[in-house]
Amino acid sequence: MEVGRLGDYSRRFFLRGTTAASLLSATSCRKIQNLLGLKEEHGLCLPPPNEEIDLISHAISRLSFGPTPSDYHHVKKLGVTHREAVNAYIEEQLNPQGIDDHHAQRAMRRFESLHAPLGEMYEYKEKHLLEQLTSATLMGAVQSKRQLYELMVHFWSDHFNIDVSKKDCKWLKAADDREVIRKHTFGNFLDLVSASALSPAMLWYLDGRQNRKRQPADYPNENYARELLELHTLGLNGGYTQKDVMEVARCLSGWTVRSKKRFFKGRVEFDPASHDDGAKVVLGHQISAGGGQKDLKDVLKILCEHPSTAQHLAEKLCVRFIADQPSAQSIKDVAETFLATSGDFTKVLRRVFSTEEFLTGPRGGKLKKPFELIVSSLRATRAEISSTANLIDYLVSLGHAPFQYPSPDGYPDVGAPWVGGLFWRWHFAIGLARNQIHPKIRIREAKLFQEAGGIAGFSAVLFGRKPTQEELMSFHRSGEPLAMAIASPAFQWR
Amino acid sequence: MIREATGIVSSEGGGAKTLVVIFLRGGADGLTMVPPIGDRDYYAARPTLAVKEPDILALGDTHYGLHPSMVGMQRLFHEGDLSIYPAVGSDDQTRSHFYAQDLMEHGGSEAGGWLGRFMRFREGESPGALSAIALGKVMPEVLRGAPAAAVIDSINRFSLSQRGESTSKIETELAELYGRDRTLMGEVAKDTLQAIKRIQELSKNDNQPNHGAQYGADSFSQSLRQTAQLIRAQVGLEAVSLDLNGWDSHFAQDTLITPLMVRLSEGLSNFRRDLGHLMEKVTVVVMTEFGRRVAENSSFGTDHGRGGVMFALSEGGGGRVIGDRPELESGILVGPGDVPVQMDYRAALKPILSHHGAGESFAKIFPSWSLKHSSQES
Repeated sequence: MEVGRLGDYSRRFFLRGTTAASLLSATSCRKIQNLLGLKEEHGLCLPPPNEEIDLISHAISRLSFGPTPSDYHHVKKLGVTHREAVNAYIEEQLNPQGIDDHHAQRAMRRFESLHAPLGEMYEYKEKHLLEQLTSATLMGAVQSKRQLYELMVHFWSDHFNIDVSKKDCKWLKAADDREVIRKHTFGNFLDLVSASALSPAMLWYLDGRQNRKRQPADYPNENYARELLELHTLGLNGGYTQKDVMEVARCLSGWTVRSKKRFFKGRVEFDPASHDDGAKVVLGHQISAGGGQKDLKDVLKILCEHPSTAQHLAEKLCVRFIADQPSAQSIKDVAETFLATSGDFTKVLRRVFSTEEFLTGPRGGKLKKPFELIVSSLRATRAEISSTANLIDYLVSLGHAPFQYPSPDGYPDVGAPWVGGLFWRWHFAIGLARNQIHPKIRIREAKLFQEAGGIAGFSAVLFGRKPTQEELMSFHRSGEPLAMAIASPAFQWR
Repeated sequence: MIREATGIVSSEGGGAKTLVVIFLRGGADGLTMVPPIGDRDYYAARPTLAVKEPDILALGDTHYGLHPSMVGMQRLFHEGDLSIYPAVGSDDQTRSHFYAQDLMEHGGSEAGGWLGRFMRFREGESPGALSAIALGKVMPEVLRGAPAAAVIDSINRFSLSQRGESTSKIETELAELYGRDRTLMGEVAKDTLQAIKRIQELSKNDNQPNHGAQYGADSFSQSLRQTAQLIRAQVGLEAVSLDLNGWDSHFAQDTLITPLMVRLSEGLSNFRRDLGHLMEKVTVVVMTEFGRRVAENSSFGTDHGRGGVMFALSEGGGGRVIGDRPELESGILVGPGDVPVQMDYRAALKPILSHHGAGESFAKIFPSWSLKHSSQES
């Protein structure tokens, strides 16, 4: 292929339709890049070559916030067969520390206040920490190579949802993100639940700090205990009773957070005088009297080892990674691994990705939530971002701003509630393609098209498969193929 | 799941009921807007600020009236459209604007706003992109948490492009590609494109208000005008939040709030006239974070208090005073001398939200309050 023809490339490509797409191989792409003297700063661009979403594209779209132009090539070269390559990719993503991510980590360290000690967080203005945390979350999702890790951070942030608009959570959520969610993302479930139970933000959000029994007549505050059972562990139909809720609340009574008016503000403490120290029975297990603060450890262990917890978490993970309505078999398989490994999340996730349904089931059937749509657009276009304010505005308009879900169950992970936001999805696509979102957010359309081989190659990057003839014609007729491809139905799914 | 779902979005957006929430920020003085008639203690506590008895606009045979600047609202009351709640408030004890506004907008110590939760949990079809809007510059707390909400200065911002350039070719192709989509997404796309077209026509045409309504040029009146335009355009608008600021009248109260009362009264009156029969699907709620101290202070103003007023405007749903405000004898006043809260604002909102389709979800809209009050209800 000659350089002189490159200007015509996309039009020619379009005219020749789908047959032309087969010309696009790694070799031709590399040739184009070498001829143009393009630096391989991002790795080689290889658009997915098949008419259907293949296993590699499927794995990338499910284990990440969406492909960059070089991801397909990156994964493909990890193995001889697609299956081998995908297995190697899964292992790579399950071991985030092994991934060189200095570029993104440096970008995320810019948000200095997020690294402040707990007590100092109260010194920031209320909105500052939320802005910083949202920006860091967004930038991590866009730039980090540890994509599965970031995706799971997102998953846990919903599972252990904390809305920052509730009282002191506006200061304390940043510490929760750091010390609870990010610290235990790929760890053990019991450790994660234990950290969350004693997270100052969670103690504020679900009123655990007010759960005390000082006199015989005091009733414990059940709010956290109920959500712990219903949302965090066993699940709504997990087989617990109202009596269990009250018993769990009794076990957890006495834990509180030092107020912001005192020294060591935000510190979590156990007050024996506010703890109900009598004997308890939780889900048939005896907890003897006089346990004091050890009750918390005992009760969380009972909850985390309960088979309903394995079932509940398995179902949520299958909904996240496989389908809005995953098969009972997949859930059963994952739940078994959860039980067998006592909730070791590296192993549990590995099991999700080895289910028959993940590997051979339907592809491209999960609607992107707004955050995913925005992040996947920024990743695919290699947007240069030095301001996130307008991106956050879009997330607010689309009803999906991180850490702002108004009830404890977290943002829904299925498609139906999200389908109403098409207006803002299109608005964003057009703004991004026209470089009009913000002066500090830039994409380079010409370069993207050169690398990928015109709009046909680039939309293959977006969709994980070659575009159809109808799609290509529509992109061209619109006069703004890039905007149209990002706004198109195919890119709304993953 | 999406792929099987049907009929979640109405094809025309015409069936939607619209709830407009106007927040009077700063703590509006209920005793000036809705003065008592024949209450000697009122005149004793307010030697300079009390509305003189002959000036009070009567509200039928009730023992309440309206400030003389609120002629429009008096007419709305007599026409049976305006309800007046004379002593509404929250459980706020701090008398702090920010705390009290948050409390009233969140619906208690919940996170997120009650209007946002209403949009997320109310029964019926999923909200669309144009279902919930705030006219202003920032997302108000009351709407936070809605599944999709837009903050706009002006309805002209409802264009797919940032700077108002044409997107008609893209719209044509969106119709083409999404038209092939047989899932719910295809339906939503069709509705959304229609809504965009209707709004484009709105901003293109001169679009004078109907029935001789003449809105003021201030931003509050213009926001009401645009709300009426959106309702007429049938874009599926269900929740609107707008603010009328500046009620914090510690000093020279009369000169400060009289223009605001005119604005509110004229604004509502024009809005009602403009909408005509379309008003049958619309409710306007006017609320404020708290009322003000009964006794005036030494600088012809009033300080932060407790019970304040609320108004609701809906076709044929008014013409009455709901709840009661006791005579202002000192024995009944609370704290440093404030009107007691006789009706919780959530109790006032409950029937309105039910009318707008809250259905069984009321407990999710006001969770902690509903829990506390479920035992008192039948």
